[in-house]
Amino acid sequence: MFKNYFKTALRNLRKNKLYSIINIFGLTVGLAACLLIGVYINNELSYDKFNSNADRIVRVTMEFKQAETVNKVATTGTKVGPQFKRTFPDIEDYVRTYISSSIVKNDTKIFDEPRVLYADDPFFKIFSFKIIEGDAATALDAPGKVVLTKSMAEKYFGKEDAVNKTLNVSGKDMIVSAVCQDAPQNSQLKFDFVTQFLNLNNVKEENWWTANWVTYLLLRDKNSIPQLEQQVNNYMQTPAVRAEARLDGSNYLSYHLEPLTSVHLHSSLAGFEPNGSITYVYMFLVIALLILIIACANYTNLATAQSAGRSGEIGMRKVMGASKQQVFIQFIGESAVITFIAAVLAFILSMFLIPSFNNILGTHFGLDVLIQPVPIISLIAFCILVSFFAGLYPALVLSGTQIIGVLKKGFTFTGGNNLLRKSLIVVQFSISIFLIIYTVVILQQMNFMQTKNLGYNKDHVVVLPIGGKMKKDFQNIKEAIEKVPGVEAVTASYETPEFVEWGDGITAIDEKGKHEISLNAMPVDLDFTGTLKMQLAAGRDFQQFDFAIMDTSNDYANYRQPFMINETLAKKLGWSPEQAIGKIIEKGSPGPVVGVVKDFNFSSLHDPIGPLVMFLSRDFANVFMVRIAGNNTKTTLSSLENVWKQRVPERPFNFHFLDDDYNKLYQAEQKTSVLFSVAAGLAIILACLGLFGLAAFTTVQRTKEIGIRRVLGATVSGIAMLVSSNFLKLVAVAILIAAPLAWWAANNWLQDFAFRIPVQLYVFLIAAIATMLIALITVSFHSVKAAVTNPVKSLRTE
Amino acid sequence: MIELKGIYKWVNTGNNRTFLLKDINLSIKEGEFISIMGPSGSGKSTLLNVIGMLDEFDEGEYVFMNEPVHKLKEKQRAALYKQYIGFVFQAYHLIDELTVYENIETPLIYQDIKSSDRKAMVADILDRFNIVGKKDLFPTQLSGGQQQLVGIARALIANPRLLLADEPTGNLNSKQGEEIMDLFSQLNKDGVTIIQVTHSEKNAAYGSRIINLLDGRVEK
Repeated sequence: MFKNYFKTALRNLRKNKLYSIINIFGLTVGLAACLLIGVYINNELSYDKFNSNADRIVRVTMEFKQAETVNKVATTGTKVGPQFKRTFPDIEDYVRTYISSSIVKNDTKIFDEPRVLYADDPFFKIFSFKIIEGDAATALDAPGKVVLTKSMAEKYFGKEDAVNKTLNVSGKDMIVSAVCQDAPQNSQLKFDFVTQFLNLNNVKEENWWTANWVTYLLLRDKNSIPQLEQQVNNYMQTPAVRAEARLDGSNYLSYHLEPLTSVHLHSSLAGFEPNGSITYVYMFLVIALLILIIACANYTNLATAQSAGRSGEIGMRKVMGASKQQVFIQFIGESAVITFIAAVLAFILSMFLIPSFNNILGTHFGLDVLIQPVPIISLIAFCILVSFFAGLYPALVLSGTQIIGVLKKGFTFTGGNNLLRKSLIVVQFSISIFLIIYTVVILQQMNFMQTKNLGYNKDHVVVLPIGGKMKKDFQNIKEAIEKVPGVEAVTASYETPEFVEWGDGITAIDEKGKHEISLNAMPVDLDFTGTLKMQLAAGRDFQQFDFAIMDTSNDYANYRQPFMINETLAKKLGWSPEQAIGKIIEKGSPGPVVGVVKDFNFSSLHDPIGPLVMFLSRDFANVFMVRIAGNNTKTTLSSLENVWKQRVPERPFNFHFLDDDYNKLYQAEQKTSVLFSVAAGLAIILACLGLFGLAAFTTVQRTKEIGIRRVLGATVSGIAMLVSSNFLKLVAVAILIAAPLAWWAANNWLQDFAFRIPVQLYVFLIAAIATMLIALITVSFHSVKAAVTNPVKSLRTE
Repeated sequence: MIELKGIYKWVNTGNNRTFLLKDINLSIKEGEFISIMGPSGSGKSTLLNVIGMLDEFDEGEYVFMNEPVHKLKEKQRAALYKQYIGFVFQAYHLIDELTVYENIETPLIYQDIKSSDRKAMVADILDRFNIVGKKDLFPTQLSGGQQQLVGIARALIANPRLLLADEPTGNLNSKQGEEIMDLFSQLNKDGVTIIQVTHSEKNAAYGSRIINLLDGRVEK
């Protein structure tokens, strides 16, 4: 029996090529979208769960109050791990971790490796990173040992056995003690090398502050988290500990314990990599479903439209003894055949799309993520669901038809069916229009963020990291860089200006009293505002002679620190820019304000501009920022590289551009905008394909009517309008439904930005007109064809 | 075999009730060859469909093979006609997407007959109707007469006791029509009861009895 159904289904597919292609294409795209998004969501939801101790591991985050400000960070001081283990019996073990870039070399190779993990000895006991070679128990038991991942072992030692070879990490010779599996995609800790935590500088002493390290605890019992957190906070309030941590007044220091598996999706504090977000997971899910709904609606619409032509077959099958259920199963079966063809194509399509998908999301999936039981089984399960939902309505209608009517008059859909078909079109276009408007708003905001005047010029600025011995030779290197042809100006600072994280506090005393302000601070070198083309509101940039007051003799007794502040800080202190010049403020050491810089965005555009102080210092210089002329970047860069190789032969020439750093801040938004652009594009294409098929069908059905109208004197354009207007009305309804929803959603999204564009009416108008036009073109292809047909031909059919 | 008593069928249009069948009383024995005649709209096809249980009636009693059809549920009626009745239509109603072989096989599939038995039965009837060579063709590749032949083969495949034919020669030329009618006479001789609806006196003459309908009534 199924063979018979199967044959009929395939032959029907072949007979109605247009419908089949639209249906299969639509479902293929819908299922591929679901499959890829499913892979992504699965990856997000499975984060860190590969650790066999996952439910017993917690990340310690730190909350502290200082200078009337509460801060929360995902890092802790060196003392937390060991002191907690000594104090609380619930804690089985701890590991403190830090990932930094380090120079790694052996005899033949030298690289600046970005992912060197420093971790305490129990690292491989707490986490489940598999050791392939060597012994996990002794892998990190001495400072001179390093563990490599498999790909690093291959990178540095090729096919040779890496264990027991020597590798120089950050200037220290180390023995490779073990090789472990590469860190999986879904791990919050991603590393290429692991070496002992104590190899870091300044970590041997246990300290509550200087919180740069991420501490993980392994608990004895997974249920003890809340009670342990309570114990920790009681402990942190004891006078002895408060004294040790130098806390007074209302200041406090406390800790939270985050279950390892909830860090990636649910924590507001990023660790070693930006966190995912459950919102994104939901957003993805919704988009996949919307596209699938559009594809399913196409199927339902076209199948019901087509079924008029198949009424004879159904009637006859019933006469021959087919029951209602058998006809029902036949039609569900047909949608299953189409869906499964689409699923196979979707699987193949997904394989081709994985590289672009990785590109959009910044993931590193290989083809192997698809060839796994979970995606394949889910795809099959999805197919069954889709076959059922898409095929349900046509199957119900067709199996329920009365034989006699069908055999006598043929079969036409009226009333209720039309309403369903119309509603489906409205749903499809509502989704499309919603996505289009939302996408346009996102793209406008993205464009706004790219082009906004930030208060400095981020273009043509090369960023070069400073490290190792370079600080001693700072002046010479800077001068050498300045001499490179094409270089316009050079400065240095601790961080690049697009995202300043250094939090600090200052005290200022004036006639109104004493002000204490928490703010961000930036150690900068000379020429900072000039190189970045910032505007000064008053005063001047730092000059060479400012170094004169920075007297380090006598243990800094007479040290004076020159400052520049931003307008916001001046305003906060109640000073006009002019008044601020010469005022004394104190940050560790006192010093005069020599300049007020006009506000610039030193944080993401999500946040308003806060108070900022810049202080002259070369001790903290971490990066050179080199402004180059925009016309000959390549030559300038290669001359820079030559200078670098002469001056800093021990470090590779690694550079990046400031505007790239800036753009990285908005990676999440970038992803969202690409994702929505793709989704909106697909939605409108699929919806129009459906409309195209349906228009083809209706015009065929109305051939006779159109012929009669023509004979009665209707014009071609009149008829084209007549046929098209029915569809356009539905698109208009869709616009009315989608516009307010899109307005609400887009505004909601924009609320996250302190600097944002307004949602403008013309976006809606353009989206509406564009959709109308696209729909009109789609429909008129058929309606015009029908209208220009010679009426004699169309009326001769009977 | 068939016992119709006081069969009425009507449709309501607004306040008017139009009778399609009015007080039909009819008794048909096994082995008969009945021709139903009458002008357009006299209710011939309606009567045939009522006998074939494809259409319902509003009043009266219908006993088929000792089963009271008017008391049966739709499922039971379907089971009854599936077992005993074969249908032939003016427009053949072959399934375009199936080959000749598959068209003939389809009723057997719905009667849950085993695949190997089906093969034998279909091969048998293809042979009997001399259309073995056409078995892999699709209906659209056949002439009208050949299509109707397939239609009859399909109607007979499950060995029905009763064959209902609604103007079987209506779409055929006279030579093809004659061949079909000769086939019907032969089938009737082999024991199949036949009821046909026809406009043609000549075709009606093949039957053993003629029933004339006018405005839904049997003319005496």
